[in-house]
Amino acid sequence: MKTLLLLILCTGSVLAQQIGNPTTQQGVIPARGTFAIRNARIVTVSGPDIENGTVVIRDGKIQAVGANVSVPAGAQTIDGNGLSVYPGMIDAGTNMGLVEVPQGANGTVDTSEVGDLNPNAKAIIAVNPHSAHIGVTRVEGITNTLTAPTGGLISGQAALINLLGTSPKEMAVVPQLALVINYPRVAGGGGGFGGFQQQPANLSDTLAANERQLEQIRKILRDAEAYGRAQDAYAKDKSLPRPDHSVVLEPLVPYVRGEQPVIFRADREAEIRGAVKFAEEMKLKPIILGGNDAAKVASLLKEKNVPVILTGILSLPVREDDAYDALYENAAKLQEAGVRFCISTGDAGAEVRNLAQFAGMAAAFGLPKADALKAVTLYPAQIMNVADRLGSIEVGKMANLVVTDGDLLEIRSHIRYLFIDGRPVVLTSRHTELNDAFKNRK
Amino acid sequence: MPKIRLCLLVAFALFFINSNANAQRSAIDTYAITNARIVTVSGPVIERGTVVVRNGLIAAAGANVSAPPDARVIDGTGLTVYPGLIDSYTNLALPEAAPSPSPGGAPPRPAAPGPNSTQPPGLQPEVMVEDVIRPGGNEIEASRNTGITTALTSARTGIWMGQSALINLTGDTPQQMIVRSPIAMHVSFTPLRTGGYPGSLLGVFAALRQMMRDAQRYRDSMQIYERAPRGMRRPDTDRSLAALVPVIEGRMPVVMLANSEREISRALDLAEEFKLRLVIAGGREADRVADRLAKQKVPVLLSLNLPKRTTAAIPEADPEPLRVLRERVEAQQTAGKLAKAGVRFAFQSGSLTNMSDLLANASRTIENGLSQTDALRAFTIWPAEILGVQNQLGSIEAGKIANLTVVRGDLFDRNGRVTHVFIDGRPFEIKPPQESKQ
Amino acid sequence: MRRFIAKLLFVAIIATLPLSSVRAQKQTAPETLIRNATVLTVTRGTLQNTDVLLRNGKIAAVGKNLNASANTRIIDGTGKYVMPGIIDCHSHSMLDTINEGTLSVTSMVRTADVLNTTDVDLYRELAGGVTTLNLLHGSANPIGGLNTVVKIKYGRAANEFLFPGAMPGIKFALGENVKRSSTPNQPGVTRRYPNTRMGVEETIRDAFTRARDYKRTWDEYRAASKNDKSLIPPRRDLQLEPLVEILEGKRYVHAHSYIASEILMLINVADEFGFKIKTFQHALEGYKVAKEIAAHGAGASIFADSWAYKIEAYDAIPYNAAIMTRAGVVVSMNSDSDERARRLNIEAAKAMHWGDLTEEQALKLITLNPAIQLGIQERVGSIEVGKDADIAIWNGHPFSVYSRVDTTFIDGDVYFDRAQDLARRPELAKERAALEQAEPNRPRPKGESPQTPRRRPSGHEDDDIEVEKP
Repeated sequence: MKTLLLLILCTGSVLAQQIGNPTTQQGVIPARGTFAIRNARIVTVSGPDIENGTVVIRDGKIQAVGANVSVPAGAQTIDGNGLSVYPGMIDAGTNMGLVEVPQGANGTVDTSEVGDLNPNAKAIIAVNPHSAHIGVTRVEGITNTLTAPTGGLISGQAALINLLGTSPKEMAVVPQLALVINYPRVAGGGGGFGGFQQQPANLSDTLAANERQLEQIRKILRDAEAYGRAQDAYAKDKSLPRPDHSVVLEPLVPYVRGEQPVIFRADREAEIRGAVKFAEEMKLKPIILGGNDAAKVASLLKEKNVPVILTGILSLPVREDDAYDALYENAAKLQEAGVRFCISTGDAGAEVRNLAQFAGMAAAFGLPKADALKAVTLYPAQIMNVADRLGSIEVGKMANLVVTDGDLLEIRSHIRYLFIDGRPVVLTSRHTELNDAFKNRK
Repeated sequence: MPKIRLCLLVAFALFFINSNANAQRSAIDTYAITNARIVTVSGPVIERGTVVVRNGLIAAAGANVSAPPDARVIDGTGLTVYPGLIDSYTNLALPEAAPSPSPGGAPPRPAAPGPNSTQPPGLQPEVMVEDVIRPGGNEIEASRNTGITTALTSARTGIWMGQSALINLTGDTPQQMIVRSPIAMHVSFTPLRTGGYPGSLLGVFAALRQMMRDAQRYRDSMQIYERAPRGMRRPDTDRSLAALVPVIEGRMPVVMLANSEREISRALDLAEEFKLRLVIAGGREADRVADRLAKQKVPVLLSLNLPKRTTAAIPEADPEPLRVLRERVEAQQTAGKLAKAGVRFAFQSGSLTNMSDLLANASRTIENGLSQTDALRAFTIWPAEILGVQNQLGSIEAGKIANLTVVRGDLFDRNGRVTHVFIDGRPFEIKPPQESKQ
Repeated sequence: MRRFIAKLLFVAIIATLPLSSVRAQKQTAPETLIRNATVLTVTRGTLQNTDVLLRNGKIAAVGKNLNASANTRIIDGTGKYVMPGIIDCHSHSMLDTINEGTLSVTSMVRTADVLNTTDVDLYRELAGGVTTLNLLHGSANPIGGLNTVVKIKYGRAANEFLFPGAMPGIKFALGENVKRSSTPNQPGVTRRYPNTRMGVEETIRDAFTRARDYKRTWDEYRAASKNDKSLIPPRRDLQLEPLVEILEGKRYVHAHSYIASEILMLINVADEFGFKIKTFQHALEGYKVAKEIAAHGAGASIFADSWAYKIEAYDAIPYNAAIMTRAGVVVSMNSDSDERARRLNIEAAKAMHWGDLTEEQALKLITLNPAIQLGIQERVGSIEVGKDADIAIWNGHPFSVYSRVDTTFIDGDVYFDRAQDLARRPELAKERAALEQAEPNRPRPKGESPQTPRRRPSGHEDDDIEVEKP
C-alpha cells in the first residue's frame, strides 16, 4: 500500500515546517512495523543478486527475501520498480558521535581521555545521538559505525552502533565490542593521538620509547589477567581473601582472555608486525585498524588470521617513492593474498558518509566490484563478529537496508529509502534542511 | 760612499722597526725549496726546480733557479710545490656563533644593539666581516693542516649576510690577515628567526626585492639632492641602502647560497631582474643549470662537502628516497659537468666538519669526470680570478704572494700528505695526523 | 687503481640507467590520434565513437574517422572516455612554503618565488587527470601573496610550468585562519592585528586606502616629472603595487571566506573601492548569499561536501554547488589538498548526487568554470578545436567511482601514462638496488640513527597555517 510513502511524506513535511532550527533531531524514533519492498533488485551480498524480488521486514528483522515472496497482510509496501535494495553500509573505523567540531569547539570533542591507559573509557557513554553527523551520514546509506575512542595507549572500548536512536542505549548494537590500543608508532608528526608525548626525532630513540610503552601495556594486561583469575577464584571459594574491584582492570578481563577482539591502530609494516606479535604473545584476538602497509605484511596476516580494517584507501602514499596507487590497490592485494579485510573511511564523523567512495576507489584499482561492496557490508560485520545480525540481506538479520536508484557505491545514485532496525528513517538531515531553507532565496 | 751606505742601512733598519707590516716578521724571511716538483698552474709543470720566497713574496721559481745564500733551505726531494690552496667560502675567523634559540624555550636574549641601522639584524648589508674577524684558533689551524692558505670568509647568518673578506690563514692581527676586503655581498635565502618579517621564504624574496628597489631610489635621490640641494628636503641617510648601491650597479659581486636546482634558478632570476654580478655558493645541482650559468657568466663556489649517508641501517627505517640516493651519487659528478659546460667554478669546504675530507672529496670529483688539472685550478687560479685577486694569488709566479702548499707525493693522491704551507712567506710545518682516520 | 676502475664502471652503469622520474622523458609524437572514444567536450555535449587529434600541442580535430599520418601515434579509445584536463582552482602543491604570516598584508610576496617542481604529489595529481593548478598563498593574512597558475609539466623547469597568458591573481583571506594566525609564538610579543572579523575588514580597507593614495602619488609624479627632471620619484612600494593593479582591474582577487557575513562584507568593500572579487574560495556558506555573489559577478571555488571541521564550516552543505550554480554563480570544485586533488572527478560528480546538477553542469565544475575563474578559458576547459591539448583519457566515465585515468596530456605531451608507470617500476627497483651499493649511499655501521619518519596529516589542509611542507 502507499501508506508508507504517505507516512514518510507527512513526516518530511512536518519536519520541514520546523525549519528555523535546522538540526534534525528526533525525540521519538520511528516505530517498527511490517514493510515489504517489492519488485526491486535485491543485492543480498551473501548470495547472488535477485533481479526482481521482495524483502519483507517485520519487528526489526528481515523476515523474508526472495523472488517469490508473499507479502504479509497489513504490510506497508514500497514499490521497488527500478530500485535496488542493499544491506546498510558499515564503517568500522570512526569516532562517530564523539566529536562535533574538532577545531574551535573543544567542548564538543570527546574522543580522547587523559592518560595512557583508559580501558574503562567506553565510547558508547559519550556518543551524542543527536549529533548532526549521524543524520547526514545515514541518509547516504551507512546504517552502522564502530565508534572508537582515540588517544593514549589503551584508548578505551569501541561501540558498534546503529545510526538511529534517541539515546546511546537505543543506538547500541554491541556497546563494548572491542578494546582499542594505539600500537606505539614508528612515524611521528602529523595528526596526533592527543595523549602522546613529543616524539623523539631519532628513530632509535623512538623505538626505545615504543618498547617502554609496550611494556606498560603488557603490564596492565598481565595485571588484568591475574585480577580476573582472582575474582573468579573468590567467586567459587569465599574463604579466599576478597579482592577489591578495579574499574580499570575489570573491563580488560574479557579481552585478555581472548573472548573479545582487541583493535590495534597500526599503519606501518613495523607497527603491524609488532601488533601481531604482541597479540600472539599476550594471547589476544587482534584486529588491525589502519593498515597502510598491510600489503607488505600480507603473508603474516594470513598466517595468523588477523583481519584488517583499511582506513587509508584515499590517503596519499606513505613514502615518496611509493607507487601512486599503492594505497588504492591495498585492498585488492589483501584480497589476492587471502587476508580478511574491510574498508573504512577512518574518519571522525564528517566524512564517513563518503564510505562508498573508498570502496569504489579500491574497485577502480583491482578489487572486484562485488568484493568492494562486501568490504563495506559483510566483511566488517564478519570481522566484528556480528555477521549473524548485519552485513547482508538474509532472513533473521537486523533489517538495516538501503534502497537506491542505482549502484550503491556510485556517487551519482540517490538513496530513496532507509531502514535501520526495521524502522523507516526519514531522509532528512541538517543538510537537507539548510538546503530547503536557502535554495529558493531570491 | 760609505756614509750613504750607512744612512741607507739605518733608514732600512728604521723602516724595518717602524713598519707594522714587519712587526712580527722573522729575522730570516728568505726560504728556498730545492729539488722539488713545482706545479705553477700558470705554466708547465717543472719536474725538478727551486722556489725562492723572500719578503713574503715569491722571488723566483724555476728549474735553473738556485737558492740564495741567505735562504733557509728545505730539501724538496719527493715533494711537490703547489700554489697555496684557496678555500673559496668559509666562516673562518669569526667570533663564536650565538646559540640558536631552542623551540619553545625562553625567548632569546636581545643582542647588544649594533651600530645604527634602519634595518633589523639579518637585513644589514652594511655589515663587514673585516670588522669582526679574529686571528688564530683551531679552525684556522685545521684548514692550514689541510693545505689551505687563503680563505674567503663571510658571516654565517642573515639574509643580507654582509660583506666578505679574503684572508690569509696567518697573521697576528686582523689587518695582517686581510688580503682584500670587501670581496662580495653575501645573500642567504633563509627567513629571520625572530618572528618578524620576513618569516618565510616568500618574504625573503620580497624583502630582497624591495630593498634593492629602495637602493636604486636612494642612489637616484642622493644624486639629485647632491646636484642641487637648495629648495629640496634632504633624503634620510641610510647606510644599508648605501651599501647596496655598488651591488645594484654591478660593481660588487653578490654571492648567493644555493644548492638545489630550484635555489640556483631563483638566484639567477633575481640576478637577472636586478642585473647583479652573481656568484653561486654551494652549487650542488649546478650542473642541471649549467647552460644558464654559462650564458649569464655566473661562477660557482662549489662545495666539497659532498653529501653522504651518515646513518646506520635499522630494519624499521624507511628505505632512503631515490631522490636522496641519486643526489649523493650525482653530487660527485657536478664539478666535471661544470667544467665540460664551460662554467667557471672554485672549490670551497662548505662547512665540512672534518677538514681532512676536503682533498679526499676533491679526489672523488676527479674519479667522477673532473680532470686533475681542473681540480687543481679550482683550488688555485680559478678562485683567485673569481674573487678578483689573480694578480696576487693562485699560481707560482714571481711577484705573487708567497702562498704555497707543499705535498709529499701528489695533492690528490690518497697517499699524498701536506708537509708544509707557506702563507705570506711564512712557513708552517704540518705534522702527520696522530689519530687514525675514521 | 682497481678501486678506481670499479668506480668508473659503476658510474658508467649509473649513467646508462633510465633517467629519473623527475627528468621525465618528453613523450612527444608530433601527432596523437585517439580513436573511437566517448568524448566529453563540456561545451558541445558528449560525442560517441569520436576521434580526437592532437597536433603541435593543440586539439587539431574532433570528429569521426579522422585521418592519421605515418608519424601519428594512434591510441585505441574504444570504451574509453576523453575529457579536458581537470583544473584545480585552489592548490598549494609545489610550493616550498605557503604562508608569510608575520604581517597582515603581504601582497609583496609571490608564490612564483618558491616553486618546487620536484614535488612528487604533482605526479599523483596528473594520475588523477589534473593538468592545471592555481597555486595560492595560504590563509594567514587578510591580504596575502600573489598566485601562480601552472600547467603540471612534471619533469620540466619551473618557467615551463607557468601558464601562458593567465591573469595575475592574489589571495585574500577572511575569518578564523586569519584570526588564528595572529596567535603569538613568543610570550611578551603582541598579537598581530586583526583578532576579529571587524579588524579583517579594517585591514583591507586600510590597505586599499593606502593603495589609492599611492596610485595618486605616482600619477601626480609622472605628470610633474614630464617638465621637471629633478624631482625625486616616490618610493616604489611592492606591497601596494598589486593592490593598485586590483583597482585597475588587472589582477584577480581570490578570497578565502566561509560565512555569509564576511562574504557580504568583502563584496561591500570591493564595491566601495570599485573593484571586483573574482572568486570566493571555499565560500561554504555561499549558498546563503548566492544572489549577492551572482550580482557582484564573483565566482565561487568550493569543496564538494567537506563540513564541520571548524566552526565556520559547520553550516556547510553539499548542495552548495547546486544552489549557487542555479543562482547564476560560476562555481568550481577545488581541492586545497594534494590528496583530494587526485579525485576531483568524483568531487564534481557529487553535485549530481546532492543538488541534481546535470552531467554537463557538473563537468564544468572542474573544467570550464575554473578556467573562467582564472582567465584561461580561451585556451583550456573544454575539448574544442584550437584549444590546448590538455586532456585525459579515462577507462570509464570520470564520474564513476570505478574509473581511473589511463593517460594525461598537456600541450599534447604525455605526462602520465599508467602503462608506462607500471613498466617503469621494475626499472626503478633496479636503479635503487644499484644506487644503494654506491659508496656515498652505504649505511655506516657505527652511524647515527636515522630520523623518525614523519607522518603526513590526513584529511583537510584548508590553508592550515601550521602545516608546512616537509
